[in-house]
Amino acid sequence: MINLDIDVAVIGAGPAGLAAAISARENGSKDVLVIDRNSWLGGILPQCIHDGFGVEELGTSLTGPEYSEMYIENAQKLGIDFLAKTMVLELKKNLEIIAINNKGLYKINAKSIVLAMGCREKTRWNVMIPGDRPSGIYTAGVAQGFINLYNIMVGKNVVILGSGDVGLIVARRLKFEGANVLGVVEILPYAGGLPRNVVQCLDDYDIPLYLNHTVTYIKGRERLESVTISQVDENKNPVSGTDKEIKCDTLLLSLGLIPENELSKQIDIELDGLTGGPVVNQSFETTVSGIFACGNCLQVYDTVDILSIGAKHAGKYAAKYASGKNMISNCFVNVIAGKEVRYVIPQMISKPGKILFNLRVENPKNSAVLYIFSGDYEVFKKKLPWAYPSNMIEIEVNITEDIIKSDNDLEVTIDDR
Amino acid sequence: MKNFHVAIVGAGVIGSSIAWELSKNDLDVVVFEKGSDVCSGTSKANSGVVHSGINSPVSSLKARFCVEGNKMIKPLSDSLGFSLKMIGKFVIAKNEYEAKIINNIKKIGQENGVPDLEIVDENEIKTKEPNISCYQALWVPTAGIISPYEFTIAFAENAAINNVNFLLNTNVKDLKKKDNNFEIKTNRGVFQSNILVNAAGLNCREIVSYLEEPDFNIYPCRGEYLVLDKEYSDLLTSMIYPVPPKELGVLGVHITPTIEGNILLGPSAEYINDSEDKRSTKKMMKTLLKEANEIIPIFPKKAVISAYSGIRCKLASPNEGGWADYRIEESKKTPGLINLLGIESPGLTAAPAIAKEVLRMISKSLKMRPKLNFETRNIRNINISEMSSKKKSDLIKKENRWGRIVCRCENITEAEIHKALNNPLKAQTLSAVKYRCRAGMGRCQGGFCTQHIVRIMEEDFNININEMNLKSANSKLFYGRTREKKND
Amino acid sequence: MTDEKEITCIICPISCKISVKLDGKNFEVTSGSKCIKGVEYARAEALDPKRMLTSSVLVNKGDWPLLSVKSSEPIPKNKLFHVLKEIKDAKIDAPVKLGQTVIKNVANTKINIIATKSIKRI
Repeated sequence: MINLDIDVAVIGAGPAGLAAAISARENGSKDVLVIDRNSWLGGILPQCIHDGFGVEELGTSLTGPEYSEMYIENAQKLGIDFLAKTMVLELKKNLEIIAINNKGLYKINAKSIVLAMGCREKTRWNVMIPGDRPSGIYTAGVAQGFINLYNIMVGKNVVILGSGDVGLIVARRLKFEGANVLGVVEILPYAGGLPRNVVQCLDDYDIPLYLNHTVTYIKGRERLESVTISQVDENKNPVSGTDKEIKCDTLLLSLGLIPENELSKQIDIELDGLTGGPVVNQSFETTVSGIFACGNCLQVYDTVDILSIGAKHAGKYAAKYASGKNMISNCFVNVIAGKEVRYVIPQMISKPGKILFNLRVENPKNSAVLYIFSGDYEVFKKKLPWAYPSNMIEIEVNITEDIIKSDNDLEVTIDDR
Repeated sequence: MKNFHVAIVGAGVIGSSIAWELSKNDLDVVVFEKGSDVCSGTSKANSGVVHSGINSPVSSLKARFCVEGNKMIKPLSDSLGFSLKMIGKFVIAKNEYEAKIINNIKKIGQENGVPDLEIVDENEIKTKEPNISCYQALWVPTAGIISPYEFTIAFAENAAINNVNFLLNTNVKDLKKKDNNFEIKTNRGVFQSNILVNAAGLNCREIVSYLEEPDFNIYPCRGEYLVLDKEYSDLLTSMIYPVPPKELGVLGVHITPTIEGNILLGPSAEYINDSEDKRSTKKMMKTLLKEANEIIPIFPKKAVISAYSGIRCKLASPNEGGWADYRIEESKKTPGLINLLGIESPGLTAAPAIAKEVLRMISKSLKMRPKLNFETRNIRNINISEMSSKKKSDLIKKENRWGRIVCRCENITEAEIHKALNNPLKAQTLSAVKYRCRAGMGRCQGGFCTQHIVRIMEEDFNININEMNLKSANSKLFYGRTREKKND
Repeated sequence: MTDEKEITCIICPISCKISVKLDGKNFEVTSGSKCIKGVEYARAEALDPKRMLTSSVLVNKGDWPLLSVKSSEPIPKNKLFHVLKEIKDAKIDAPVKLGQTVIKNVANTKINIIATKSIKRI
């Protein structure tokens, strides 16, 4: 067993882990260690070779590999240590980590821990698509990795289910590589990804977008032969008589992401059923003291920019905790997702000040008003020109000591204007 | 043309266990399997249950071989290394009427020689299975679980290291009896044998029909399953069966823990025309969830991580009630042809006993001389997460691939992937890896490990990416390179 | 000659459908825009549509088989597939530094293709 004593341990070297580690170092932690199971650093970014990263954070548009290399260089300059090809097997409440790599078994004692494990993609069975079980069905991210990292072509005639950004970007990538992209199928009445990606990835290349449609059957006993798509009604149930069979050899699934919290579950960190990630306070600290969470294991972000900003926040407070400067407060207020709000982060606030809230709405709206109430008291009100479920809303709100001490939960709601 | 003493058609659990029994003797044995690996058909896609023998009529072959096989499983598990957990099962009665039925099942079980059967009341069930709601139940302690592929692979790989020839991706296209030999035409050449064992499962009728007019029909009956995330493994500790439905000769939708720690729901029962049609249907997925919900009221909705279906090989049509006994016999018209017909549930349990029986039948015409250098290889895979810290460290020191985990859901290391790809049957598909070491079986369904397995296949085993298959020979994974390396 | 087009605005998720009229270099929004940013976008998109291009180039002796690349500036839309063809035929020896020019004046566009990743030699 190899023993390591460090200040801040970060689990995951994707964009969140890198940003958290850098921030922890910049906020005074001397020994910062980042652990990642892959052979490379940067997580999913090296396979996201398209541009558009960093626009909000840096004011310039970078590709995924550029963005990650910038962070990796920065981290290395700051003397942050990395353990690659290393898997965390166990996380303990006393801030001990058991990890494994081909040099042996590690026991890592940390003063604080940042969880940055990222997320995984939903599979065919998360949405229960009936039919055969042929080869040629990949999640969009797996296909993107094969094409962009491993120089392997996954198919020639492709249907994509789900119009999230990953699905749209992979559609264009496949088109560039000479594949026929026969359509992107979306169960909702609107595209999941950014308008820019709908225009520049689909419209530019005349790739059809089937809104209010889903894949209802998969055919092929060896390699995929065809998929059947059907129109859906307002309850997302297929409408009979609208079936259309599309011959194809590949089906890519872009069905959404699930935060990875297997380690969090090991030590009973409380999880939010709505975000899929840990319940956190204003410092992104979980319900286990000294363990912080950020990135896509906390909530699935829209852009890496906002994700990095959040991760830096977590890294900063992890550094403070490691140096013993944390303020333990038993008094806190719960933050509740009210009407038309799908979720809010943080889920609890224990310290007054300017608090950054991240939230998503349930349904698309072209003008709405966002309110935060503490009982009958209106803490915050903002008019929104538009609000879409696929666009995370960030607001900064001053939360006073009185609000925290009051018996009322903080409730965030949306009203149609 | 190579002449074998025995040719076996089909490397399911029956063919593989027979091959292993035969490999203990000095015989030349060949096994033809049309799939790309052993255990590619019905043997793979079932509940993985070691049955006790309570469900088959007294003095049937099903009852006899099931009870015999049940007793053989534990010593076999110890020597061959497949996992076995004797977790027991409850057959639950929801009301007084069903209570009468389970009493009757108990009586039949006792007559079949099944020990320690016990009727328990609701309170006793609750202490063992707090999530189950029912009125009474029959407790069957001699029922257990195995992994059906691990079980079959244990037989087949042990047969292979004792010189049985397994020809994968090999279709039997025609059969002739010439003099005292069978001439076997396949897509990989012509072979001869003295004895022909028909263990072709759903294709058993086709095999017979090459040699004689079959006196039976096969009625394929599909059973669909759903697999739940390991996260829900606490829902139950033993198997929960309903009282069997009156029709179809099946056991009904049950809830079964698996060796890997998942929970299975299923199977449905649906007669179909096409014995290869292993689809999952929306209707049955819904039905399975609904029926599971009736047994476990707190049944989680988002727990499904995978689905599969298997086809029962039935000798009786639905109109005949769906139940028929096994037929294990030498053909009267074609001496030397040993037929194994209609081997459906409890075929997995019965397999080792059936294999012994087939050996007895063959030994009437072929002289059995025990093989002097017979070898037994324990195939047990001990997962890194089950080892002590010292064991882990020692293993990594010896072979550093044990330190590189490539399947995050099941914690499978590169060392295990290597071992799986090095199997003596030379089955090297993605499924062959999955069924040997569980990589890709977890909640992400290969999202993380596929890239690593592909890398290992390419770098360490020199498999061309265009020849990598998911399972069967035409289930290719890839379409070449995005950038072809030109020779310049 | 006048030409009428409908352009989907990508400035915000409302995705306005902006109708424009083109007459040589004269440009006019006929309907659909809700803001000034949208008009500017529609003008650029109608008169001179360009796209940033990203793809990858085969690497010789690198620690990765592919090098991710991008165009040094946006490429006229009608030239995209010419540029892609050149990228597809290109090959580079490792090591490569991020920012390094991989193809100069790609498809006679006066635009360069540059590396977006560093690759070590093995």
